[in-house]
Amino acid sequence: MSFISIDFALFAIAVLVLYYCFPKKYRWVILLIASYVFYGMTGIENFAYILVTTVSAYICAWLIENRGTKQKIYLSENKDKLTKEEKKSYKASVKKKQKLILTVCLILNFGILLYLKYVDWSIAYINLFRLTYFGRIDFIPFKNLLLPLGISFYTFQTMGYLIDIYYGKYERERNFFRFALFVSFFPQIIQGPISRYSSLAGELFKEVLFDFTRIKSGFYKVMWGLFKKLVIADRLAAYVSDTIAQRETYKGLYILLAVFFYSMQIYGDFSGGIDVAFGVAEMFGIKLAENFERPFFSKSISEYWQRWHITLGTWFKDYIFYPLSLNKGIIKLGKFVREKGAESLGKRIPIYIPMFIVWFATGMWHGSQNRYLVWGLFNFVFIVLGTELEPVSNKITLKLKLKETDVIMKTYRVFKTFWLMSFLRIFDISKDVPSAFNAFKLIFTDWSSFKLINVYENLSLPKEDFIVAVVAIIIMFAFDLIQRKGSVRERIFRLPLPAQWVILSLLITAVSVFGYYGPGYDAASFIYGAF
Amino acid sequence: METIIEILKGVHPEVDYETETGLIDKRIFDSFDVVSIVGELMDEFDIEITAEHMVPENFNSAQAIFKLVKSLEEE
Repeated sequence: MSFISIDFALFAIAVLVLYYCFPKKYRWVILLIASYVFYGMTGIENFAYILVTTVSAYICAWLIENRGTKQKIYLSENKDKLTKEEKKSYKASVKKKQKLILTVCLILNFGILLYLKYVDWSIAYINLFRLTYFGRIDFIPFKNLLLPLGISFYTFQTMGYLIDIYYGKYERERNFFRFALFVSFFPQIIQGPISRYSSLAGELFKEVLFDFTRIKSGFYKVMWGLFKKLVIADRLAAYVSDTIAQRETYKGLYILLAVFFYSMQIYGDFSGGIDVAFGVAEMFGIKLAENFERPFFSKSISEYWQRWHITLGTWFKDYIFYPLSLNKGIIKLGKFVREKGAESLGKRIPIYIPMFIVWFATGMWHGSQNRYLVWGLFNFVFIVLGTELEPVSNKITLKLKLKETDVIMKTYRVFKTFWLMSFLRIFDISKDVPSAFNAFKLIFTDWSSFKLINVYENLSLPKEDFIVAVVAIIIMFAFDLIQRKGSVRERIFRLPLPAQWVILSLLITAVSVFGYYGPGYDAASFIYGAF
Repeated sequence: METIIEILKGVHPEVDYETETGLIDKRIFDSFDVVSIVGELMDEFDIEITAEHMVPENFNSAQAIFKLVKSLEEE
């Protein structure tokens, strides 16, 4: 079932009615059934994968906590008998067992994810290797496996939970069915956000009273998400892909425009989808984690990644970057290098090596093509350059008698970050790494040949669509700017009722009249849904 | 406390750690400094500092670092 379809709307309304008809205490049961029905409708074979993740994480969390509880009992019963050293050694042996359980579960779940994502990529390289070195032409056939819906998102979310249990951040969920809902909650399963158990569980299992304002607020959010997805993102998709495909004919400004439009497309697509998830969840009285904070207004790449797909960034930070950075081995390596006289390099090792691994993993997360790995590594290089060149940049700013707080400096930094990130996305829209470099090179040629008529007539963006897209983008950013000073919806709800209805009618009209429902349109194809 | 101040002086000797309460907020320490300090603290006090402890409040002053170390030693 597509997230953006009449079927989904009817499904959500039916679940909503059932949810509020059920006793408050058991409403989460409705959500669990609905989540499994929704998931089953995307392909019954997908059940096996989500069940493996749910059952394995549930059992491993139980085993980990069980060992922790036994440790507490043992230590309290023997607190006067054991020496400090004995206590420490006992704790270390328990931790080792817990680590083993955690590792097995991580390998199982990330192993499934890696296998599904990377099996054909690996086969391609094995075939190439056999052909190059042994002349073998009996190629191993590709598996052509379909990635179960949302597997990256629920795997990351569930493994995050298990790591938290390992670190004793909170108690495990004892009720298997409640835990199954945490893994499968349907509004967020397609493309996130990647929630934390500590915040989502409280939302899922609290007793919610029916509140019309909340339903209205959720509906506004859904419509705003649909506006970004249908009016902006889907309208621009054809122009972007056509221009990149015909880049030898339509080069220079055509490609630059495609790069700009792709940034708008992916933002509209991803943040629009998240808004729909957020709005639907809100109608059930459930607040999901924020995934975007006006990322295109960031002043550096590091800041950009703290404001774009926030829940994935914090996942990588908490579960990969810090554990690696604070790992005794890497810290010792840094110290060893410092003691050898390379003070500056030694200090950088515990930061840059984990950061490199995080960006490599982020590239891998996005897809099984080399272009995503290269994209990840470029992000790493740009962040390192940004950090290392900061003193030089500060000197230049000082020489120009400017301050970081000056409007001109802020504008320059936002402009620079936006275009750097947009240029990196060429890897996203090109079919491979050489095509991406080629497209980037072609941006700087033949600007004089640009004619808007070609955009309208030969590159799938007719004049009317072009105008609608530009106006919609301006509206999207205007609302982003207004949002900086607080919730736009709360402001709308403070207006007189007729004004609220006018705004809602305008939004519904914009989505129904200006939503892009053109030929070949497929509302199901969220870009991040494929990750 | 003396050991902690000694570790901190090893990174930024010019700072008055008795009075300074904005080591992170005022960007006196950058991320490289913090990780170096964490490494020294883990070595010296045989404690485990994890991601959840990596918040500015725990590193803004020598006193805050002292509190963090004490709480981890008691675990």
